[in-house]
Amino acid sequence: MKDRVVTTIKLYNYLIVPVQIELDDSTVEAMQRQILSEIEEKAIEGVIIDVSLIDILDSYISYSLSETAIMAKMMGCDTVICGMQPHVALTLAQMGVNMRGIIFAQDLEDALSKLVKAREHS
Amino acid sequence: MRDIKMEDYDMLVKINDERDIVVARQMVKDFAKRMGFSLADITKISTAVSELARNIFRYAGSGFIYIRENTGEEKEIEIAAVDKGPGIENVEAAVEAGFTTSKGSLGLGLSGVRRLMDSFFIESEVNRGTVVIVTKRRRTF
Ligand SMILES: Nc1ncnc2c1ncn2[C@@H]1O[C@H](COP(=O)(O)OP(=O)(O)OP(=O)(O)O)[C@@H](O)[C@H]1O
Ligand SMILES: [Mg+2]
Repeated sequence: MKDRVVTTIKLYNYLIVPVQIELDDSTVEAMQRQILSEIEEKAIEGVIIDVSLIDILDSYISYSLSETAIMAKMMGCDTVICGMQPHVALTLAQMGVNMRGIIFAQDLEDALSKLVKAREHS
Repeated sequence: MRDIKMEDYDMLVKINDERDIVVARQMVKDFAKRMGFSLADITKISTAVSELARNIFRYAGSGFIYIRENTGEEKEIEIAAVDKGPGIENVEAAVEAGFTTSKGSLGLGLSGVRRLMDSFFIESEVNRGTVVIVTKRRRTF
């Protein structure tokens, strides 16, 4: 697939996206397109975006991630963000950013169990 | 409009394309680190610069981010975001949380910057441009 900006791992019906690149605006948009098309192609039921390497998340990037989650939800897929660094979370909270549509988890393991739970409840 | 002179600052980043937003936040991050800011404050300062640089790119097309260290009783970082773009018609509304003229935005840039930094100054004139100046003190504890 062209336009792949992030490496992804498929595990069961889950798509794990460890973000290992600096997110600029076009990258974040390309990542959104990539995730949505992989959901469709690979029959994904849950997406885990690992942001543990990200040290700056601003309002636009947060908005795009949240928009991705809402679109994924419309495709029957839950989205979990895991590993957010504490100072990144603190900064977003102080700015008043509210990431709608997203489930948060501490790490991959926590993310997987939250996805399983979200599936059970839906 | 306030006159910002290059020679008064320690560092300058030209914002011309989208990737310059990343360059600006990386440069300010290193600058704040060298000044001895805490990790939490470095993150706040770099996030604020990311917002200001994006506004320059998105609304004015191009402009500059100036950075300097102010020494006084307490060290502080000062950042000026300057452009000669379209300006802001209603500045008061623009700094309110949730105000945006962009589709697909939270409108939390300027209000967020104001919350993240210690001081916030904005001046804008329609068809002339916008100047935003923010500072943050280095807390030592
Ligand atoms: N440098 C600028 N030149 C002209 N207009 C600006 C500039 N910066 C901000 N604005 C105006 O002020 C509004 C509010 O800006 P702010 O950064 O708070 O939110 P946003 O850019 O719309 O959304 P977000 O930053 O959350 O993605 C913008 O929608 C725009 O109309
Ligand atoms: Mg903005």
